[in-house]
Amino acid sequence: MTTNAEEVAEIRDIIVDSLVRCGGGHFGGALSVTDILWVLYKRILRLDRSAFDRHDRIILSKGHACIAQYAILAKLGYFDLEELERYAQFNSLLEGHPDMLKTPGIDFSSGSLGQGLSIGLGMAMGLAKARRDVWVIMGDGECQEGQVWEAVQLAERYKRGNLKAVVDYNKYQEYGWFFDPECNKEPVEKLGRKFESFGWKVWDVDGHDHLQLQDTFKMVAEYQEGPCVVLAHTIKGKGYALIERDPIRFHCGELSEEEQRGITAQKIPVKL
Amino acid sequence: MEKMGMHCGRMLAAHMKNDEKIYVLDGDLADSNGAICVHQQHPERFIMAGIAEQSMVSVAAGMASVQLKPWVFSFAAFLCYRAYDQIRIGLSQAKMNVKLVGSHAGGFTGRNGQTHAAINDIAVMASLPNIHIWSPACKGDLAYAMDRMLKDEHPTYLRLPREPLGDLPSEPKEWYWLKPARRVTLVATGLSVHIALQVHKLLSKMNMEVGVINVNKIVPLPESLLHSINALCTEIIVIEDHYQVGGLASMLSIHRLSCRIHAKGWGMNFTGQSGDYEEILHHYDLNPHRICQEVLTLN
Repeated sequence: MTTNAEEVAEIRDIIVDSLVRCGGGHFGGALSVTDILWVLYKRILRLDRSAFDRHDRIILSKGHACIAQYAILAKLGYFDLEELERYAQFNSLLEGHPDMLKTPGIDFSSGSLGQGLSIGLGMAMGLAKARRDVWVIMGDGECQEGQVWEAVQLAERYKRGNLKAVVDYNKYQEYGWFFDPECNKEPVEKLGRKFESFGWKVWDVDGHDHLQLQDTFKMVAEYQEGPCVVLAHTIKGKGYALIERDPIRFHCGELSEEEQRGITAQKIPVKL
Repeated sequence: MEKMGMHCGRMLAAHMKNDEKIYVLDGDLADSNGAICVHQQHPERFIMAGIAEQSMVSVAAGMASVQLKPWVFSFAAFLCYRAYDQIRIGLSQAKMNVKLVGSHAGGFTGRNGQTHAAINDIAVMASLPNIHIWSPACKGDLAYAMDRMLKDEHPTYLRLPREPLGDLPSEPKEWYWLKPARRVTLVATGLSVHIALQVHKLLSKMNMEVGVINVNKIVPLPESLLHSINALCTEIIVIEDHYQVGGLASMLSIHRLSCRIHAKGWGMNFTGQSGDYEEILHHYDLNPHRICQEVLTLN
């Protein structure tokens, strides 16, 4: 029997292998969000898909990190693990960004940033009577999109307690202002205070500590008085020293052949 | 006469008594676009989504994904342009059953002026896969279109002008002959059907008889319409409250019809302007007298 640590390590290897195989991709954001997704799927979400109103929803609004979600869905049996070998290939079940009409387990398509929270809010309105929750996973860079704050305002006004946002708060975006020391701040400064000022309940958590994630997500699931957000502090490229060292290059990048050969030796254990 | 939006809101509110899955989202224009009728009768299923059209459209897509039937009301300009990417992702690509009601469509914006004009809305919406478009010319057309929209699951854009439109004598369908078929025929949709009838009247006075077709469903174009034009017409003059590019005339032209197609819409130098209907009609490209003269010069 495999342990949690072994399973998550395997998922990270699948992510890296899949991205290497297709010529590169979003290593950084996929590896930073992996633990968040894994804890949600394994410990929190109700996954009974026998009827539309029986299962919780999850929207990976930062759709560029979908290889992490695909790896977990495959491990959960939504499709064969071999599909990962065809990720983003022509006629694959797995598009480069999530496609709800192609991939089992994807609750809504994403890829154009900033739309997931609004879509999740609509789902939460529709699933309120069924008492099912909608979890929307966003990036902190994505929170620069104005639509996010349109949804934040509306969700609070309608007190949608079954809407749960999680920010993969890795403090980086693709390029940003890193070249300009005076502007080079987090993608969105004081993110928690911004959510709080809109009336949202905010939790902060180590986004790689599974026990913390699990305990926090359970509290969040029980909280139904209004919309809430978990700021999951993460490390871009988590798990591989090479990738963690260079978050700009590996937002969306590729590995050289030499780096591919050495990547497994660079693995960093994740605290579970 | 009431605005088409008000008719739409009132008829939808009546339908909602029989279907609890219908919800209405409004972008803070309910009293102008007709959604107020739903708010008054079904406040529990009316969501004032704020002046936030992008989020409003995505919220509707999310609702549709869990089997609700959302109708989204705003001015056409703010739906089709401000929320275009949200329509592209959430409705077109995802095939979500969301109905968009765009009032104040076209170039006749009353005192509002160019920012509120939606003159290439057909072009942008028709270029998205899976989106159906209805463009009714009277209350009867609208009732027919809404009945179809309530029964199908296509993401749909319902194009409504700001101007109230009078009744038409024919039984509403996807398209129909308003005046008997002729070799030279005026083809129009929505508000411009009433301009086409004015042109028809002017031409009749000059002893020239032309046919008039009203196209209620403009995307996808009904096959029977194309067959009928091919069988009966050698010249069609497409009159539309839309730019000459990308609207009904453009859509007809890609079907390789055997007749010649003449587009009579707004020229590309028109961006919209404040003014009442008659003033704008008189000064610009859709002036019936001007169109009449151009028809008379056709070979």
